[in-house]
Amino acid sequence: MEVNMSQNISQNSNQNATTSVVGTAASRKDGRAKVTGTATYAAEHQLSGLVHGYVVTSPIAKGRIRSINTTAAAQAPGVIAVYTHQNSPQIFKPANNWMNSKIYEARLPLSDDQIHYAGQVVGMVVADTLERARHAAHLVQVDYEPQAPQVNARTANYQPSPPWFGEDFTFNSGSFSTGSAEVTGIEAQIEATYTTEMELHAPMEPHATIAHWQGKDAVTIYEPSQYVLLTQKTYAELLGLAVERVRILSPYIGGGFGSKAFPWPPSILCAAAARDLGRPLKVVNSRRQMTANAGHRSETEQTLKLSATAAGKLVLIEHLAKSCTSPVDVFPEPCTIVTPVMYAAPNIRLEQQLAVMNVGTPTFMRAPGEAPGMWALESAMDELAWTLKIDPVQLRIMNQTQSHQRKNLPFSAKQFTECLEQGAERFGWQGRSPEPRSQVSPSQTQDDLLVGWGMAAATFPGYRGATSAKVRLLPDGTAHVLSSGNDMGTGAYTVVGMTAADALGLPLNQIRVELGDSLLPDGGIAGGSQMTASLTPSVALACQEVLKAAEATTAAAAFEKLRQTGRAAFEATASTAPGEETKQFAFNSWGAHFCEVTVDELLGRLRITRWVSVMNIGRVLNPKTAASQVRGGIIMGMGQALMEECHFDPNTGFPVVYDLATYHFPAHADIPRIEVAFVGEPDLNFNPMGVRGVGEIGITGVAAAIANAVYHATGKRIRSLPILPEKLL
Amino acid sequence: MKNFAYTRATSTRDAIAQTTGNPSAMVIAGGTNLVDRMKVFLDQPSDLVDLSRLPLKQMERTRSGGFKIGALVTNTTLADHPEIRRDYPLLSRAILSGASQQIRNVATVGGNLLQRTRCPYYYDTAFGCNKRQAGTGCPAATGVNRGHAILGASDQCIATHPSDMCVALAALDAIVEVEGSRGTRQIPFAEFHRLPGDTPQRDTNLEPGEIITSITLPPLPAAKTGVYLKLRDRASYAFALVSVAAILELSGDEIRSARLALGGVAHKPWRSPEAERFLVGKPATPETFTQAAAIALQSAKPLTYNGFKVELSKRIIQRALAVVAKGGGLA
Repeated sequence: MEVNMSQNISQNSNQNATTSVVGTAASRKDGRAKVTGTATYAAEHQLSGLVHGYVVTSPIAKGRIRSINTTAAAQAPGVIAVYTHQNSPQIFKPANNWMNSKIYEARLPLSDDQIHYAGQVVGMVVADTLERARHAAHLVQVDYEPQAPQVNARTANYQPSPPWFGEDFTFNSGSFSTGSAEVTGIEAQIEATYTTEMELHAPMEPHATIAHWQGKDAVTIYEPSQYVLLTQKTYAELLGLAVERVRILSPYIGGGFGSKAFPWPPSILCAAAARDLGRPLKVVNSRRQMTANAGHRSETEQTLKLSATAAGKLVLIEHLAKSCTSPVDVFPEPCTIVTPVMYAAPNIRLEQQLAVMNVGTPTFMRAPGEAPGMWALESAMDELAWTLKIDPVQLRIMNQTQSHQRKNLPFSAKQFTECLEQGAERFGWQGRSPEPRSQVSPSQTQDDLLVGWGMAAATFPGYRGATSAKVRLLPDGTAHVLSSGNDMGTGAYTVVGMTAADALGLPLNQIRVELGDSLLPDGGIAGGSQMTASLTPSVALACQEVLKAAEATTAAAAFEKLRQTGRAAFEATASTAPGEETKQFAFNSWGAHFCEVTVDELLGRLRITRWVSVMNIGRVLNPKTAASQVRGGIIMGMGQALMEECHFDPNTGFPVVYDLATYHFPAHADIPRIEVAFVGEPDLNFNPMGVRGVGEIGITGVAAAIANAVYHATGKRIRSLPILPEKLL
Repeated sequence: MKNFAYTRATSTRDAIAQTTGNPSAMVIAGGTNLVDRMKVFLDQPSDLVDLSRLPLKQMERTRSGGFKIGALVTNTTLADHPEIRRDYPLLSRAILSGASQQIRNVATVGGNLLQRTRCPYYYDTAFGCNKRQAGTGCPAATGVNRGHAILGASDQCIATHPSDMCVALAALDAIVEVEGSRGTRQIPFAEFHRLPGDTPQRDTNLEPGEIITSITLPPLPAAKTGVYLKLRDRASYAFALVSVAAILELSGDEIRSARLALGGVAHKPWRSPEAERFLVGKPATPETFTQAAAIALQSAKPLTYNGFKVELSKRIIQRALAVVAKGGGLA
């Protein structure tokens, strides 16, 4: 049964308010499975006859392959096959248009002899064990004709960026659109350039695929996928199959952060080679291979100009951003899209440029655009606040915009001021000393530490997509919720279960949730922080529909009918999608970060000692998993701020990062207690659950809050991330 | 990984017999570094001789009041030993500032001395590397060399020694006892590791077939106030940008003797006899420490990306000496 929903589910989703589970801090439904090791991730599936692939990658960053000698590899013990561009398994060119299919890198693996970046896949060895495949991969001899690569973002050739999802980056308002000369009323101005380095997603679970063919025309693929149904369609095109002949299984994802929505070259090669071999094949990326074959966030350079009246009202904002992409696909890091969302100004100019470098293809990484964009914008706002001698909290309250200045739509359920005010209150912001270098923490054995307080705003758009979910009531008194949507560690199993528990009036432990299987109704994408906002309305509606199908007013009555009639199940599928509201409102989540740092100035040793964040995300379905998402984002932001950086050898263009010892992200010792609170009301304009996403907002503004605190501590303005010790000496 | 024959040594002599005269044999204890290297083709031994069952796990006081530590004592056991924590706290702190609890639980004292550099160019066979294979060049010299040496490097190699524990052992003038086919010998810690020179392939002066059996710490009352201070890119689980082990023997405010060893700056733990000599007889003041730090870094040669290490090394010396002069503890 398919139905569309127009009424407000939240009013009748909770049949018994006293037993409501939505809004409570329920623990993860998948928590026990994960901590006891029974949650099976893609590479852990045991299949009879499974063989192992190991990709061979290019050590040069630009040029071509003269010849490949695979003799030694092919003769090594246990080797079953060696693939190169000269004997690639068959791969079909997909439409790659987001509707029918989407791959991260437009160039198909092993499609020719050209080398575009170091780490590019140039072959794959298949053997009976991982160790033998890896050993033989090392024996493949490739003769390259190298050319000088471009891997220096500072000297790259920047051109105007292509549009972002059909919308031009360039935006001019006020005098910038009319071309009129003078902007009046400017009494204070700052202009500065902010940079970030290349960041890696570095999920705990490496990218991995097992392809298991049933004959030559049907395949089951175990792969962590943030977008199961589109991945299914994509593999169908890549392999020349009907969609229903491909099954994707992705019940658990060990972190994706944007890098696991679509297939990467090693996975495509795995699926194609498995058909050629007629055996189940597993390919797991090494950490080394993930530096080139699993995406990254491009380095950025952003110039911000803010002009204001003496009272602090913004008159003009200019935001120019540069980022880099690979020679084989186009991905601009959309730094400027957040700017007209944050602050109002009568004159705004936005522009982005893009350069091609010989690096792997960049992609979406947690808060693409907003993470680096808010670093620059929120640093610049802090600089303006110091220039004007206005409290940075007040400067933000005074300049916030009630409408999206590109869409010309009012924001729905915006409680940004409450985030700022409550955050300041919880942190004790009014106790901040007014000058830089004026707070110290005495030490018995060391020199005194400088103490700094900083703050920054956070925001992320409310995205929502079309989804479907199925609910099934069984005679054993349980309800099953089924969808291809998935949980990449975010808590989707839990909030989907909670939504169904309330809608059916059942306790949470009587709800079973199955996710991440392409046989199930389309649950959309776990990306853009939209899984909860997109999927829970369909789950709630399907619960109502299954009671209708049972002709029962309660789940208990429906179960009784099943027992009396001997019927196997009642079942209903419901779909929901965004509608007219997107033409009436703009939707964003909002937040504010407040932090304290200490700086041991002699040693350049920086520690984050205190953190308070207040978020406005619409209805909070589960304060425990939601706060956990915010904390995860903040910790990732701390990494961006203080240590994350993928280096390339300037001569060869090869990444000089090969594992998690050479790519640093925060250890527990780097992270203080992080206090997270939520404010605001359900955003019922957005969807019937009133919930906006929470996966990405946490990271936005974090690096700026830290750099702003460093300025308050030391008087030193850091405009390039990461803030390494040498920048503080 | 190449196939190899695994045997478990039944005695130290058995291990020596199995490895002497067989250049492609290697010994393994905790394996926390060697196994990683084997996986990425840096070491491809034909025979792996496991020492881990040998009776080299004792810790005992020496007659003179020092400590003798068996080569197979784990890092955790050594760092947690109450008398080490009391009498040689800088050694305990150095060990605990390295690796992770899980790694320290299996990593051994002898193995710690024999771990190899984490220079990314050495680690990746896509690059040439004189340390890995003589005559293939040093791409780090013109590459990403933020983590590389500023002291004692050669045009052949700019790698640093990664150990924290060895920096403390260098400051403590530990003695390394080794056994080979020609008997036992004692190597002063300062002579155990080598500078790269023209033979960066050799990290130590251990002869083929020789095995470390124990480390001896001489008695040193001043070690009780000694300090180990490490700076790195995050608060835990990272190799040192620079580190220092510092010990001062004071008579009132006057420095009677000084020991200063730097980590993360050279191919071996870097003692500075010049700075140590300078400190003797001087008052324990910030001015003295600043001058000593400048002397210790006099011969520093920074590379493209690691110039900051020169200044940072000076500052870490100043801080460490100041904390020692105040009675030691966390720096």
